[in-house]
Amino acid sequence: MTTGLPYLQRRPAQFLFRYGFGAAALITALLMVLMLVFLVVFAFPAIKFNGWNILTGITWNIGNQYGSGVVTHNGVSAQPGASFGGLVFIFGTIITSALAMVLGVPISILVALALVYRIPRRIKPLANAAVELMAGVPSVVYGLWGLVVLVPWIGQRFGPFVTGHVGKLPVFGGEPGSGNGLLASGVILAIMVIPIMVATMRDVILAQSSSIFEASMALGSTSWQAVIRAVIPSVRSGMMASVLVALGRALGETMAVLMVSGAAVNQFPSNIFQAVNTIAAVIVSQLDSALTDASGMAQRSLAELAVVLFLITLIVNSIARAILHGADRVRESR
Amino acid sequence: MRKTLISGFAIGLALALTGCGGGSQSSTATSSASAPAGTAAKSKVFGASGNVHARLLETGSSLIYPLMNLWVPDYQKAHSGVQITTQSTGSGTGISQAISGVAQIGASDAYMSDSQMASQKMLNIPLAISAQQVNYNLPGLNDVHLNLSGPVLAAIYSGKILYWDDAQIKAVNKQYASKLPHKAIVPIHRSDGSGDTFIFTQYLSFSTPSWKSGPGYGTTISWPAVSNGVGAHGNPGMVQSCQNTPYCVAYIGVSFLSQTNAAHLGYAALQNRDGKFVLPTPQTISAAASALVAKTPKDQRISLIYAPGPNSYPIINYEYAIVNPAQSNAQVSAALVDFLKWTVTRGNGSQYLGQVHFLPLPSGVKSLSLAQIGQIK
Repeated sequence: MTTGLPYLQRRPAQFLFRYGFGAAALITALLMVLMLVFLVVFAFPAIKFNGWNILTGITWNIGNQYGSGVVTHNGVSAQPGASFGGLVFIFGTIITSALAMVLGVPISILVALALVYRIPRRIKPLANAAVELMAGVPSVVYGLWGLVVLVPWIGQRFGPFVTGHVGKLPVFGGEPGSGNGLLASGVILAIMVIPIMVATMRDVILAQSSSIFEASMALGSTSWQAVIRAVIPSVRSGMMASVLVALGRALGETMAVLMVSGAAVNQFPSNIFQAVNTIAAVIVSQLDSALTDASGMAQRSLAELAVVLFLITLIVNSIARAILHGADRVRESR
Repeated sequence: MRKTLISGFAIGLALALTGCGGGSQSSTATSSASAPAGTAAKSKVFGASGNVHARLLETGSSLIYPLMNLWVPDYQKAHSGVQITTQSTGSGTGISQAISGVAQIGASDAYMSDSQMASQKMLNIPLAISAQQVNYNLPGLNDVHLNLSGPVLAAIYSGKILYWDDAQIKAVNKQYASKLPHKAIVPIHRSDGSGDTFIFTQYLSFSTPSWKSGPGYGTTISWPAVSNGVGAHGNPGMVQSCQNTPYCVAYIGVSFLSQTNAAHLGYAALQNRDGKFVLPTPQTISAAASALVAKTPKDQRISLIYAPGPNSYPIINYEYAIVNPAQSNAQVSAALVDFLKWTVTRGNGSQYLGQVHFLPLPSGVKSLSLAQIGQIK
């Protein structure tokens, strides 16, 4: 194998392909590592100051900016009264994304299957274009719709209706709240990730399964059996990948959630109608005040929350992949 | 090194926020090349030739942003050599970018804290006076003005008063006592850092000892857990949420008066230090401002909240320009001085302030502001 300069002169295109593209691929990975390293370095004093409180604490207080003196913990200082407990936001991030997935995944699978097998050929291009258009709408647009349409509907109609009928039942009962909250956030996130899932699932089904579907039909299955027994098992890993992409988007979504979550601090929702908050949203909403923190600890704690979000995304992804891997192995060993 | 890191991070985040289309707005007003003949004599700095001799960046408070956009075009008509860019980013960003030198003017609804001043000495120059309404959405009662006091609001925002027909609310609203419904109050607060949160929580702190020793005040505070409580993003979010949420209570800057009226929200008469309930009007806001003119120190960092006097409206504040007294460039500092002087003199005219419901600085405060502007080098 020829390498080095002579190789470059004889086959420049091949050289570029071998090394240039490799370098480009490396840069993306490197950027991610650099970003994480930068965040961790910047957040390091906060990691020292907060200890486990960032994961287990409920009270988020950037401290009394106009008071005198500082509080010192593990050799680093913050404003008096400061407590950077992130559990409310960690919980909110996971619960809103989970709700979005519970609502979004079944709908997405059905829509993707319908797009491939059920929608009449004449309107198919239109339906496909609509899905892709929805996937490209900026999140702030969904947020605005949520704030103006969805939140009042939940607050004034749906919430009182449900709580009125189930009374003190946990999760669904209690105070209907204002409409801003867990349900609104979950629904908005679901609406945002459905087009992403539909578009990728549709492509996966199209790419892998037309022959499987037809073969299954030829063997006498109904179309329902063909889809459930033949198509879905064959595209399962592709679908899972699509769900993971969507989950990543939901975990990190900021603007739309910020607009409809009710921005809870210091408390957990007692039912699906009450205010929540997510890590991404709280970083945005607290940043401006954090900038006025003379000790700098508020900014560093927000950076620490960003690291936590990074890790949550990583962990959720790994768990999902492990489940997928395990399922595949079980299937193969049958 | 530590500071560079912090500001670098802050700017990076600020850029990212602008990118995701949050709430940031920015506009650059560039004046035409031909300056009016009268200003030609004004010479070196403001160049009649139309060449831009100085660029100023104003960034920060979203409350001052509309006013800046009234001021800047008119100022530039007469000063074609100066190009001023205005941005609405938030008071905290305004302060930190004025300190880092990215912006020449950091607009802020709150004065800088002692600990911030200790790390970087900046001028806090009042440009105008603003006030705040306490709004509510009580079907059937939005056309009347309920009486609310600091202690009652503090109890609502800490979950000690839960319903509109609570005895404490009835006690200060005897004429409407029978009309107050047994409905859960939804207290709405700002989720983003905000000068409105700063002055509202100051009112609660100064009037209610338990609030002072508890949540305290700041542009963001650690709100007590109230299960019905909701956070809203920005003043537009406050108006929207309160309009959508019957039985809410919210605090909203007076520059949003036309929006709160359009949303048909009621606004309260607030109890002042003398125990009287007063509505936010030009008279009551002026009365509160004049009561504290004599107390305004030379560096002008003072709260105007809960002013004495029977007629004083309790929630008013100075809107500040945060400026570094040591500018790096002589032309920039000359332009900065001239523009700031213009804002507190001609710019304090009612044709500008009236549009955003701000009030001019009392003359005693104006001269303090001018003295501070004179310190810019």
